[in-house]
Amino acid sequence: MSQAASTHAELDPRKALPFPKAVLPVLRNPQLRKNVAHAIDVIQAKRARLVAEKSDWQDLRAAASAIRAHALENLGAYLEQFEERCAAAGGTVHWAADADEARRIILDLLREEKASEVIKIKTMTSAEIQLNPYLEANGVQAFETDLAEIILQLGELEPSHIVVPALHVNRSQVREIFAQRMGLKELSDDPKELTNAARAFLRQKFLSIPTAISGANFLIAETGAVAVVESEGNGRMCLTLPRTMITIAGIEKVLPRFQDMEVMLQLLARSATGERMNPYTSLWTGVTSGDGPQLFHVILLDNGRSSILNKTKERQTLKCIRCAACMNTCPVYRQTGGHAYGSVYPGPIGAILTPQLMQMHYAQSLPFASSLCGACFEVCPVKINIPEVLLELRAQGVNQERERTLRFFDPMYIGLRIANWLFAEAGRFHAAQWLGRIGLKLFTGKDGWIHWLPSVGEKWTQTRDLRGLPKQSFHEWWAKRRIQANKEAQ
Amino acid sequence: MIGMLSSRQRILDSVRSATEGVSGSPARRAEAYAALPRDYIRHGKLRAKVRIKLMIERLREYDAEVTETTPAELPAAIQARLAASGRHSFVVPPGVPDEWLAAGFDWKIDRNLAIAEIEEAEGVVTASSCGIADSGTIVLHHSESEGRRVLSLLPDWHLIILRASQVVETLPEYFSRCKEPPELITWISGPSATADIEMTRIKGVHGPRFLNVILVHDEVGPKKDPELRTAENNSAKAE
Repeated sequence: MSQAASTHAELDPRKALPFPKAVLPVLRNPQLRKNVAHAIDVIQAKRARLVAEKSDWQDLRAAASAIRAHALENLGAYLEQFEERCAAAGGTVHWAADADEARRIILDLLREEKASEVIKIKTMTSAEIQLNPYLEANGVQAFETDLAEIILQLGELEPSHIVVPALHVNRSQVREIFAQRMGLKELSDDPKELTNAARAFLRQKFLSIPTAISGANFLIAETGAVAVVESEGNGRMCLTLPRTMITIAGIEKVLPRFQDMEVMLQLLARSATGERMNPYTSLWTGVTSGDGPQLFHVILLDNGRSSILNKTKERQTLKCIRCAACMNTCPVYRQTGGHAYGSVYPGPIGAILTPQLMQMHYAQSLPFASSLCGACFEVCPVKINIPEVLLELRAQGVNQERERTLRFFDPMYIGLRIANWLFAEAGRFHAAQWLGRIGLKLFTGKDGWIHWLPSVGEKWTQTRDLRGLPKQSFHEWWAKRRIQANKEAQ
Repeated sequence: MIGMLSSRQRILDSVRSATEGVSGSPARRAEAYAALPRDYIRHGKLRAKVRIKLMIERLREYDAEVTETTPAELPAAIQARLAASGRHSFVVPPGVPDEWLAAGFDWKIDRNLAIAEIEEAEGVVTASSCGIADSGTIVLHHSESEGRRVLSLLPDWHLIILRASQVVETLPEYFSRCKEPPELITWISGPSATADIEMTRIKGVHGPRFLNVILVHDEVGPKKDPELRTAENNSAKAE
């Protein structure tokens, strides 16, 4: 397998390396970075054109933000309403406090069905709870049906984006995977031919496997309906052909009313893929006699979400409708792709969602994986102020660190105490400047930049250059200028 | 079961205590909901003719094939489209008018057809419930004349009959017409597609690869915010 595709990725935040370490192999992989940059440039250009076409874009964002915030503020009531209406329409609602419970509920349902195989619509929530490996370990084979997910599943790769999970894989890498795993040696790397190969590969599975698993884009409290937004029709296949449908959804996915979709649907496709509307959106309400699955289960997953709800600033994280516009616009994601984030949720939203889902026990490095430029906030269709949450989580991380380490051995603490003492008095400050100028001269290159510093200084210089100190400080220049002026006056 | 019940209680308790200061009584919640800002465009401004033109333009941008006709000439228009497709075997939902089943083709009416029979058909002809010009979207409510969901999914070629009077300009207009949300809805915007390989848009993955629309000019003068009429009412009326 080619190098870019086989870059190992650990997406379990409990096991993943901190971002600055995880990012190193990616930065040394030009093919992967090229694939990511290409895909993102295409989406961004399309998005920009179609967003510009909507004269009421900002009004839509304001409405979407308010609807999502309102839904979260009243989440208990709306969840209960959803449960009641969905059950009245013939669905069965389950509640899962954590990933483990969700996995067990799904396995029990599959065992009831005597299912040894299951077809899946792309769902990031199922990736979050690491469902596929669990099912496999328990004798159930899960078949992904979204094209990108098939590429990843057959290539044994990890997703690097929440909307286009295989955007880090290029056509020749896809060809390699399909040729090997589908036994199609003659396959070319034409995307059309590759797509047709996937169509043929899955057709029989759709027609023969009677159990399906999906995620949900929206749960409608008013009617108990569930909506799935997709492009390929694999969703429609899974939603109509099987006998049993199992949907897993985070508890935050609720919208108060059916009508609220008029706002979300206008924002979602434009933000996600740069289309006026995605090819297919399906909505179903419990079970409909004579049409589609006759057994329907919804699993409402908490897995750390209710603890995010608790905090005023952080609550907005849960407004997310998973469009991925924030990662497409992020200058950090553009360079690194998704794997360095060590989570199925990469990019800016991942940087705030993942550590919070982990209740700040893991992934604490992610809030620092940002330049705080604010581009993510600007594009977010539901106006999540990601930089604000990033800063809040950084503060929490620093406080945690402070509690954990002995103060007088903490370089950050010592450094700041010294800085505090130096900056407190002008004489000390000038002396430090003078010393620094001499000391840093050793490391300053001919171009006036410092590219490497020893010891603690390397933490800065390993990822960025530092401008060498100027020959003269402003103070010195000012003082000289006054002396000059005085001389001239005499 | 006991474990599930306790998780339900635990999650709801935790959600409730987290939102204690901000959530309210049902009355306060309804009030807060009603006060949500909705300054986006809810009513279109285009004249009927321009609206229909936009609908057609947007459909064509998705690679859908669109032709226009009048109610009287609809059966002939269907016949012409079927002939042009080079296909012979078609399925239809049970509620479409007999006039749609053009002579010279092999028709199967979906009265509990087996999946294999639908899969074998080369095409499907259905009515529809609404067209949204702004995004080129056609909405199916899966009534008797639109068929169950699988019917318009398995055949590779889908012909949708859309009436001009069903076309609104904006998505919010569809929702405000849709006072009683149906149990099943499919919003279709162009044929099945993917861009998963290098963001190259490929038409046709699992759903129908060919989307065809006949737009029927049945305009009978302006109506004041009509309720969304179901597709069979419309088709019955046109005959």
